[in-house]
Amino acid sequence: MAAARCCRLVLRGPGLSLHTAAEAAVTAPEVAGPDVTAAPVARYPPIVASLTAKSKAARQRRVERWQATVHKALSVDEKLRILTKMQFMKYVVYPQTFALNADRWYQSFTKTAFLSGLPPPPAEPAEPAPALDLAALRAAACDCLLQEHFYLRRKRRPPLYQDREAIASPFLDQLVATLMGLLSAHNPALATATLDCKRPVHFYWLRGEEIIPRGHRKGRVDALRYQINDKPHNQIRISKQLPEFVPLDYSIPVEIPVITCKPDKLPLFKRQYENTIFIGSKTADPYCYGHTQFHLLPDKLKRERLLKQNCADQIEVVFRANAIASLFAWTGAQALYQGFWSEADVTRPFVSQGVITDGKYFSFFCYQLNTLALTAQADQNNPRKNICWGTQSKPLYETVEDHNVKGFDDDVLLQLVHFLLNRPKEDQ
Amino acid sequence: MALASGPARRALVRPGRLGLGDCAAPRRGAYEWGVRSTRKPEPRPLDRVYEIPGLEPITYAGKMHFMPGLARPVFPPWDPGWTHPKFRRPTPVHEQPLYKDQACYVFHQRCRLLEGVKQALWLTKAKLIEGLPEKVLSLAADPENYIENQDERLLNVISHARLWHSTEDTPKREVYCPVIVDSLIQLCRSQILKHPSLARRMCAKNYTLSTTWSRESFLLQVRGSSGARLNTKDPLPTVASKEEVEATENHVLETFYPIAPTVDLQECSVYDVEDSTGFQEGYPYPYPHTLYFLESANLRPHRFQPDQLRAKMILFAFGNALAQARRLYGNDTKVLERPVVVQSVGTDGRVFQFLVLQLNTTELASNKGVKNLVWVDSDQLLYQHFWCRPVIKKKVVVEPVGPTGFQPETFRKFLALYLHGAV
Repeated sequence: MAAARCCRLVLRGPGLSLHTAAEAAVTAPEVAGPDVTAAPVARYPPIVASLTAKSKAARQRRVERWQATVHKALSVDEKLRILTKMQFMKYVVYPQTFALNADRWYQSFTKTAFLSGLPPPPAEPAEPAPALDLAALRAAACDCLLQEHFYLRRKRRPPLYQDREAIASPFLDQLVATLMGLLSAHNPALATATLDCKRPVHFYWLRGEEIIPRGHRKGRVDALRYQINDKPHNQIRISKQLPEFVPLDYSIPVEIPVITCKPDKLPLFKRQYENTIFIGSKTADPYCYGHTQFHLLPDKLKRERLLKQNCADQIEVVFRANAIASLFAWTGAQALYQGFWSEADVTRPFVSQGVITDGKYFSFFCYQLNTLALTAQADQNNPRKNICWGTQSKPLYETVEDHNVKGFDDDVLLQLVHFLLNRPKEDQ
Repeated sequence: MALASGPARRALVRPGRLGLGDCAAPRRGAYEWGVRSTRKPEPRPLDRVYEIPGLEPITYAGKMHFMPGLARPVFPPWDPGWTHPKFRRPTPVHEQPLYKDQACYVFHQRCRLLEGVKQALWLTKAKLIEGLPEKVLSLAADPENYIENQDERLLNVISHARLWHSTEDTPKREVYCPVIVDSLIQLCRSQILKHPSLARRMCAKNYTLSTTWSRESFLLQVRGSSGARLNTKDPLPTVASKEEVEATENHVLETFYPIAPTVDLQECSVYDVEDSTGFQEGYPYPYPHTLYFLESANLRPHRFQPDQLRAKMILFAFGNALAQARRLYGNDTKVLERPVVVQSVGTDGRVFQFLVLQLNTTELASNKGVKNLVWVDSDQLLYQHFWCRPVIKKKVVVEPVGPTGFQPETFRKFLALYLHGAV
């Protein structure tokens, strides 16, 4: 009889399938004994909140219904579509920003703890460090520098206020391509990697809540939505994942800054447009894991300009903010491409590296994404934090005079090489 | 007519209006006859006193104010002593420092030659051979040069360039053409494991080339930059043997009378004869290896036809080779002991044109003697078509997403051209 009732309920309409699912879930623990069949015993349909009422319980039920459609989605594309199809006003986060102390704000938006220095090296190195021909690498790097700064005869003057960028951009392209070629002998992952130049990276996420101050929805609770539209200068993507730096549930003593103001104070502005999640190529691409990103800071944020504005302490902030935002967006998008989202948190950490430069000063960052559960609902009992390690910016060279590079710093080059030599675990 | 545009041309046509009174030439925005509401008032006619020769008119200039009865003074035109950069008039062509009497015919990256490859061969005194040289073809066919999983990686590259790298449904040619060429070069560079001398190369974009030579009373010049150039530390080995080079002496260059051989070249009288390879002296990668030309305009009329693209490739490769030869062996015209070889690849993202040029002689004025050699492999498809969205007829997927008519042979030739000189 219960079975007949169950069938009748199913025949009435698709909207009631949750009823039957809830019913089966509710009645299953009541049924005891191994010899009882799977037929539910309840005599009445479960009492659940309404779907359409103007109540918190109804809203909760609607949210859960939506989350169930995401869980049920068969392909990643469908999942991303359901997560991003509704457009609302969201904060647009710019990784390269002039805002003061933006790195602390971005840390709170992305639940990232910042540790200075680089992550600890793995306990036992799998194989002895390869013998690098440092002289050849240094010669190649100097050749790239001199070609752009001195040897290449350019016809046009660079556009106004972009003279430094006009030289640094081709230099960075050349440097990355040359170093990738030279180091592919030591790192087979580099030989098969994809190098993207100025391809977009997008990420959309929800974090925190606010009470809507005015409008027809005044007084109601609304999630805060963020979107990053980044364009790294170069990025390397590989087909297997990089090994984690620290375990997934590693607890860090460093606290994440808590900002009590609204994000509008940063300044951050809201817009409504397409919510996109993109790692640099679509989901069909087999190279779906990130290796290293290279960012070039624009002339608007160059050191001399910041010093003229009396913002000498913001120089490092610019590098850090760029790294945290860009690498969070990239690793987050990679995790979403694998089917994880805020209610289905990552089961393995996603790791990427980043190099931020302005043509002369380089700083190195490593990012480990441990959690995607940043919404208010998912973050209630979430002890995990994302971690970003970063160095101070160091110059690669002092000056370029005629056809000589003066004061070339080998440490910076070695660090760059070390970053590029990082490889997935299976290859080690 | 030398390079003269707009206001300069008007200045030349109506010289009388310059320098007379304070409202000398019409404002730039106005038409030649002037829009009536914007036309400046005509200057007042001169007093009759000035028409009488020998008479000294008495004017009110000294009194500093108008006086009826005295003549209106005529002042020399005011020279402010400086010119605002926005309103600077270019000096007339004849007075410019680089003006020369003989006109020079310049080939730049937007020149579409009417007679295409035939005209390019005449201008560079070259003989055409269809197909790539055997050395390069043997490199293409050599199984040792194959990349592992070549076909799979190539299909990934094509799909990435045509579909995956952008959030749009159908990326445009301006975006996918550079992406596919970069990815192919990246794929070729991964062979550095097998051939370490591939490390002795550097790519350069935005270089500016200029060389001049004369052909049968025409002064020709190649100027400008076009695409990327791969430079190496070691020169390319010569492709044709000495006998083949000497055999070209009997070849007769094809003319296309009544069309002049300088048609579609830009004629100018203000030019610089200095040669420039695009790099300063002492550049560690002095030898040009391959030039890459991308026809990446979205609209078909803006792109070059395959014949015009091949002609452009021949002329730019020749320009690079000639500048290199002059740098190595001096400016005097002679037959080269060690010919200079430059390669070139032109594409629009799907169709590839390959070219190898060997410069045998810098004696280009006469039509006799040793000729240069050009090997051309034209219209090589990498894939026939790429479906960005699946073709579904009656709910059945007729064509899946991906490339159709894939030809790996084209990439083998691309790779062979890349490896030439390093293997």
